[in-house]
Amino acid sequence: MAPPPAHPQRSPSPSQPSGKSEVTDLRSQLRQLAGSRAPGADDAKRDLFKKVISNMTIGIDVSSLFGEMVMCSATSDIVLKKMCYLYVGNYAKVNPDLALLTINFLQRDCKDDDPMIRGLALRSLCSLRVANLVEYLVGPLGSGLKDNNSYVRTVAVIGVVKLYHISASTCLDADFPATLKHLMLNDPDTQVVANCLSALQEIWTLESTSSEEAAKERETLVSKPVIYYLLNRIKEFSEWAQCLVLELVAKYIPSDNSEIFDIMNLLEDRLQHANGAVVLATSKVFLHLTLSMADVHQQVYERIKAPLLTQVSAGSPEQSYAVLSHLHLLVMRAPYIFSSDYKHFYCQYNEPSYVKKLKLEMLTAVANESNTYDIVTELCEYAANVDIPIARESIRAVGKIALQQYDVNAIVDRLLQFLEMEKDYVTCEALTNTKLESSSMQVLVKDLLRKYPQWSQDCIAVVGNISSKNVQEPKAKAALIWMLGEYSQDMPDAPYVLESLVENWDEEHSAEVRLHLLTAVMKCFFKRAPETQKALGAALAAGLADFHQDVHDRALFYYRLLQYKVSVAESVVNPPKQAVSVFADSQSSEIKDRIFDEFNSLSVIYQKPSYMFTDKEHRGTLEFSDELANLSINAEAGDSAVPAQRVEANDNDLLLSITEKEEGRDAASNGSAYSAPSYDGASATSAASQSLADLAFSSTSGSGQAPASSFAIDDLLGLDFSVGAAATPSPPPLSLNPKAVLDPGTFQQKWRQLPLSLSEDFSLSPQGVAALATSNALLRHMQSHSIHCIASGGQSPNFKFFFFAQKAESASIYLVELLINSSSAKSQIKIKADDQSTSQAFSTLFQSALSKFGTA
Amino acid sequence: MLQCIFLLSDSGYYSVSYYQFVTFFRIIEPMVLDLWFRHREVMLEKQLTGHRVDRSICGWFWDQSISQGDSFKQLPVIASPTHYLFQVFREGITFLACTQVEMPPLMAIEFLCRVADVLNDYLGGLNEDLIKDNFIIVYELLDEMIDNGFPLTTELNILQEMIAPPNIVSKVLSVVTGTSSNVSDTLPGATSSCVPWRTADTKYAQNEVYVDLVEEMDATINRDGALMKCEVYGEVQVNSHITGLPDLTLSFTNPSILDQVRFHPCVRFRPWESHQILSFVPPDGQFKLMSYRVRKLKSTPIYVKPQLTSDGGTCRLNVMVGSRNDHGKTIDSVTVQFQLPSCILSADLTSNHGTVSILADKTCTWNIGRIPKDKAPSMSGTMVLETGLERLHVFPTFRVGFKMMGVALSGLQIDKLDLKTVPYRFYKGFRAVTRAGEFEVRS
Repeated sequence: MAPPPAHPQRSPSPSQPSGKSEVTDLRSQLRQLAGSRAPGADDAKRDLFKKVISNMTIGIDVSSLFGEMVMCSATSDIVLKKMCYLYVGNYAKVNPDLALLTINFLQRDCKDDDPMIRGLALRSLCSLRVANLVEYLVGPLGSGLKDNNSYVRTVAVIGVVKLYHISASTCLDADFPATLKHLMLNDPDTQVVANCLSALQEIWTLESTSSEEAAKERETLVSKPVIYYLLNRIKEFSEWAQCLVLELVAKYIPSDNSEIFDIMNLLEDRLQHANGAVVLATSKVFLHLTLSMADVHQQVYERIKAPLLTQVSAGSPEQSYAVLSHLHLLVMRAPYIFSSDYKHFYCQYNEPSYVKKLKLEMLTAVANESNTYDIVTELCEYAANVDIPIARESIRAVGKIALQQYDVNAIVDRLLQFLEMEKDYVTCEALTNTKLESSSMQVLVKDLLRKYPQWSQDCIAVVGNISSKNVQEPKAKAALIWMLGEYSQDMPDAPYVLESLVENWDEEHSAEVRLHLLTAVMKCFFKRAPETQKALGAALAAGLADFHQDVHDRALFYYRLLQYKVSVAESVVNPPKQAVSVFADSQSSEIKDRIFDEFNSLSVIYQKPSYMFTDKEHRGTLEFSDELANLSINAEAGDSAVPAQRVEANDNDLLLSITEKEEGRDAASNGSAYSAPSYDGASATSAASQSLADLAFSSTSGSGQAPASSFAIDDLLGLDFSVGAAATPSPPPLSLNPKAVLDPGTFQQKWRQLPLSLSEDFSLSPQGVAALATSNALLRHMQSHSIHCIASGGQSPNFKFFFFAQKAESASIYLVELLINSSSAKSQIKIKADDQSTSQAFSTLFQSALSKFGTA
Repeated sequence: MLQCIFLLSDSGYYSVSYYQFVTFFRIIEPMVLDLWFRHREVMLEKQLTGHRVDRSICGWFWDQSISQGDSFKQLPVIASPTHYLFQVFREGITFLACTQVEMPPLMAIEFLCRVADVLNDYLGGLNEDLIKDNFIIVYELLDEMIDNGFPLTTELNILQEMIAPPNIVSKVLSVVTGTSSNVSDTLPGATSSCVPWRTADTKYAQNEVYVDLVEEMDATINRDGALMKCEVYGEVQVNSHITGLPDLTLSFTNPSILDQVRFHPCVRFRPWESHQILSFVPPDGQFKLMSYRVRKLKSTPIYVKPQLTSDGGTCRLNVMVGSRNDHGKTIDSVTVQFQLPSCILSADLTSNHGTVSILADKTCTWNIGRIPKDKAPSMSGTMVLETGLERLHVFPTFRVGFKMMGVALSGLQIDKLDLKTVPYRFYKGFRAVTRAGEFEVRS
């Protein structure tokens, strides 16, 4: 496998670059050969050229040889020519003056008898990319486009695009686009036609931003005559050109249904093509054409199903991944269509794990009454797999299927079997990975219990045997604690386990676990007060002294609740449970639709619409309708901040497990460290979090009265309230620096570096939405509240803003991303802050400022 | 539109130094070792558009692949801060393409796969040394295959006419004739012909067509020994040497068993649709006419029965292999391979036929070869589990390899092959072979 590091005997191989001295050596040798017409000269030259290019390939700068190379280039040998073209094309840009020397021989070659040489020369000429040489390009390109050999014409057409990128005006002045259009509609060679099409799309798309006429021309590309002309010849096109044409057809809007069927009939055999790219492009055309016809759309799914499934199993893993990503999209849209094909999504042992992961998700999606048993059986086999991440993933999948309500008995049985199986290892304290497995199990069991309370008896017996000491992962620990609290009446030693956990409060690093612990102790208290009393007191005291804002707030909240009335507290903390029917989905359907619109593009692979990960300037020259996210109104910073956000969003995605997703539902917090989940049933949750928020912000004033009203509870819990009161860090009134400055570069950098500290959804007032219509009104309004806008953009109904603000008398900066949907009056803010602890206060400030928008 | 293509070599480690290091300094993070000793370089760089892509992107790519570990290593589409990267990994070479615009991902991946295939055919293999020795040819090929970021032609036949492959024949020729150019003087006729995969005027003294059915059996047998999945993926490979512009028809006796067919662009769709007949003008030379899948097969020609029992910290393994053959053909090159779970400290496995080897990465391979007629091969032995572990809780999957000549296990049979339009006599040859594809037995 591994080659020995050196091959001293093979000089042309670029394995051992020796740098400077070799370049000077080459220079002198080239000089010697430059004028030589001796018989062996060409061979010697070829060896030398090869050395030069091999140096170039491995990244040594050989541009200093430019002059010598050009001198040697007068030759009739085609390989020498090619090497020379390659070299010249690479270095002309940095040597514009010397590049002039090459023009001469390239122009001469453009008139050579051999079409191959004409084509090569023309291609190299256009690849020089030196701005002051464009005048020499127009002539050869013009004659190249009229050349009687199709090879030269294909090269010339692409040459026009290259010319356009060097100097757009020269290209347009020579009227090349019109010539290309003529060629496209008349040339007998399909490669020429395809190149014209791609060239025209590129030129007119770029041109259409400034010129009305070009925009119109671009529209004509998707007009009926052009589309029909291309479709009728589609079988003559090369496979790649077919992709290009199909991409264009997908944008065409047929006038009536018969036209749709004509196109589909014509393209049907493309689905059988050996090239996966063609198959996918055809699928896209079919899906887009039939969007308006629900029943036919359904049939299209059926029709493209088989070819896509073939593609999955036929190609290399890379190809099958790309196809699977698209299938994944379709499966998620219409799982019932694929429910009989579930066996296609079974994992093979040596598939890469990214493929397995996609397959598991699809298996989860297609499960229904008839196939659940098979799927779960299969998934259970993966659970004993050597591949630990996949084993965990498949256990999770089993849980998800269980939540879909099919054949629950069997599944819960299986899950419990897992738990028992896992228990073995836990007692053995075997490996960390087995612990991990068991922890993912518990998270699952918790979810199940939330949904199917009737199963609790069975589970408790099993769970009760798991010692909390053996569980390390915060998620699992939180799940276990939740169960302890929730089913404390059935678990004899629950209060004591909780108590020991409270004693070790300081060793618990995860805020999530501490939050759960607080709630669990509360719940336990209402069920078995005498035993829990001591633990509750300790927990509340510890909670109040906690440095974490959420933990502190919740402890305070519980404390006040208990003070107010114990029965009210019970109804808030321990309301009658209703089974959860559905867990919130992670992605909104709007986003899914958008991804679907971008079928056969990178969006599908990333599972995000393109506006979330591409800059506008890069949004594809082929993009005909970019309705959304014109982010570049104010400054570039907005644009470039998007990729940063994307990277982060990616991370979030990777981390999203089912539990995190549904926690997002609770407190609108995105599964970040700050999530404050309280698993108390839907109605209570909103009430609780509402009052929690209220309490938190009135606490400055509230803490004054607290000691007076704290009577029995303190005694009962053995709480010395002075600890709590003293530890209450009253949120200081936050004031902002009205003259804050931040340049876009720093903003971007900070946005990338800082963790997301807060994310909230809220509604806008109707006046606010109305006021949005006037541009910059919002920006001025926010500025009056010392919150400055750095970038904004978007088109109705979606707007996006980036704000920043600085805390007065401090260097601490807040960064805000605000998304507003004006049609639904919904908005979302994401806040990042240098000083995390004050971000909640800033959020309130921001929202109150925003709520005044439009009213003033 | 692709902006740049890189060929990167990543052929493992400098063998000697790395392993010595590992044994001496086990304490050092494997990742750091990876950085020091991994042998990586940019072998080739081909800029396709005016937006020059800096080489530093490769550095980013390597950093990522180190930090993300192996699962990232294989993810074919990645977003870097500046570009979207497509990667295809073949034989220690990464084909990396960069773009900044939205484009059909499969097009990029397909194209890279095609580049890999073409290079493989041209250079007679694919490895670092071959590419470095022939980098001029690689440049020439890329030049013709893609222009301005858009794929042009990837048809091997046509490329071969533009750029001659560096085979021994041409080397000998060049010595004899003195012309050492590997570029043909004439342009391929096909660039202007209406059948893009074939040149207009091919001439052969002897006309012959060989049709091969090459099949791979994919099967999954679950823990209870039940056949979960058994399918055959097959290809019809044709090698045609016929004068002129021949029109061939190929028909099967039982086309109805075929599921999910894919065709070479030369196959006409209508005759297949109406009569299940393959009608086509073949490219010259070797090509893949169609691929197909046959599902829901009832049995496999070979059985593998693993048994694992574990108790008290040891585990007993017994694997039986035998032929369930009703085709009368012998089964060759039988191998059984599996990964020992990481909790196994040592294994002592012996077999009554063939050889058993266990590699350092705990891959165990049992090479059986041809299954003997008189006895059923079996492998057995004990494995010691990690201390503290009573029983085995992860179970290996056994992957089985075999080969059968002269039989297509799907049962597909060729009926006849006819030549229309050109009135030559020609020689027809048919062959079939079946190999194991993803044949796995779970325990």
